[in-house]
Amino acid sequence: MKHTLRKFVTRLATFLILVLGLLVVFFPYFWTFLTSIKDPAAINRPLDFSFTPTAMHWQAVIRAGIPRQALNSFLVGMITVTIALAAGAPAAYAFSRFNVGGAPTRFAVLLAEMLPPSVLIVPLFLLLYHTQVLLGTIWAAVISHLTFILPLVTWFLIGFFDEVPRDLEEQARVDGCSPWQAFVKVVVPTIVPGMAAAGLFGFVLSWNDLFYALILTTGSQRTLPVGVAGYWTFRGVEMGQMSAAILLAILPMILLSFFVQRYLLKGLGGGAITGI
Amino acid sequence: MSFLRIPFKYRLLMPMGLILLAIMIFPLGYSLAISLQDYELSRIGQERFIGLDNYIRLFSNSSFWTAMGNTITFVVLAVGLELVLGFFLALLLHNKATFMRGFFRSTLLTPMFITPIAVGLMFRFLLNSQLGVIPTALEAIGLRVNWFGPDLALFSIVLIDVWQWTPFMLLLLLAGLESLPEDPFEAARVDGAVGWAMVRHITIPLMRPIILAAVIIRMLDAFKVYEYIYAITRGGPGEATESMQYFIYRTGFIYFRAGEAAAMSFTLIIVITLLVALLFTVLRRESA
Repeated sequence: MKHTLRKFVTRLATFLILVLGLLVVFFPYFWTFLTSIKDPAAINRPLDFSFTPTAMHWQAVIRAGIPRQALNSFLVGMITVTIALAAGAPAAYAFSRFNVGGAPTRFAVLLAEMLPPSVLIVPLFLLLYHTQVLLGTIWAAVISHLTFILPLVTWFLIGFFDEVPRDLEEQARVDGCSPWQAFVKVVVPTIVPGMAAAGLFGFVLSWNDLFYALILTTGSQRTLPVGVAGYWTFRGVEMGQMSAAILLAILPMILLSFFVQRYLLKGLGGGAITGI
Repeated sequence: MSFLRIPFKYRLLMPMGLILLAIMIFPLGYSLAISLQDYELSRIGQERFIGLDNYIRLFSNSSFWTAMGNTITFVVLAVGLELVLGFFLALLLHNKATFMRGFFRSTLLTPMFITPIAVGLMFRFLLNSQLGVIPTALEAIGLRVNWFGPDLALFSIVLIDVWQWTPFMLLLLLAGLESLPEDPFEAARVDGAVGWAMVRHITIPLMRPIILAAVIIRMLDAFKVYEYIYAITRGGPGEATESMQYFIYRTGFIYFRAGEAAAMSFTLIIVITLLVALLFTVLRRESA
């Protein structure tokens, strides 16, 4: 009896702690949403909930640059991730199957992802400046995002390739495939979930970057975080618009996160973090 | 030499190798060269070689060391808190008996997926002395807290980082917990271990390498702190929240002193490398 009671109390405490965590996580989202539908006068009275909801901030944000910036961010993310997967998957396969460079190389790939952007930004800016055409465009963002997304995607995929049984390629080789054919036709299809997870995670990171995009993109080529950062103000009218812009930037990523989390957990457990 | 004569495993590495050569390794070398020059973005074409002058000048640049100190304080506090909270939550969410485990997992992880500039702006608003709901609510119960004043500003930035990145620590540790073998836990259970004793004597020792990896990953990431500062304090009040990444950004792209900015970046890399090495040595020794 005492044992059951103890178990019940533990479970209840666990549940209450998690609910508290949930409140801490969701309060900022909730408050930002509330602000986005308050009229400017109501925004100046934080604890007053007697206001008539308005769509004015959302309309203003949608008429402004935000949709174009979202499109830019989407394109940058898609192009970056496509290149990262095309170049990263074969490399990850080489690290996993042929153990090129051993464990230190795996760690070096991770370190490459972690390099402070401040180290690369000046030379990247100058190199792009010298090309005359790339600086300021979404291509500048793609190039700079590849510096961290390519290593990340590679590092992440190594764990997935580690789990593919070797028999698969050996069988394909016996059946007359070249090593390249065995890789493309037999191995790659088995890690599609891993590629999807790595791609989505890379997309999220690209979509979220401010540092590179702020310096390397301009005008109509600006990405969404740069647009959101533009709402750096404290006037009631713009606070509402800022809140709407923030929600437009974060909601798609929150939705994406529900699809990608399970695979992230699997990918990180499958050697990416345990293998260091 | 024909392409096909290169061994297959190296051919697989070539696309990534070539891209990284062009956009990382070459820029790194270029950056090193810039750090040895009097190089200003406002007068490109007039740079001259000055050896280690940029580095030597850093030693007497007190703002640089303030930013370095702030960044290290920030990283230690933020990652420390994230580790404790993240580990605790990971244990709860690893336990199969936890009610609505899947729901809590997917909702508690959301902050790590959203853009840090949005997080910075949300909290700037939430914690603002005049318009923010948190100070207003605290005032209603008689508490006056100036979250972005000189004393608390850096700590507030730490709390914001904890809000956004504890989920990532949680995810890494949860992945680690799920990959642990079952046997040691079974054996301990047979011996009568429960609760905290189990965590202390079985889980933590098994998790040690994963905790080390998670801490290093988060630490390296935390050193890049920039968006919250850009969104909220812009380094102020005074130099209270000046971070390395923000300071280097300002030196390079607001004052156009590219040479100095590059020298700062390499000094930062050296400091980070030393800290990671230190962490490795300390944790390895403890486990031996």
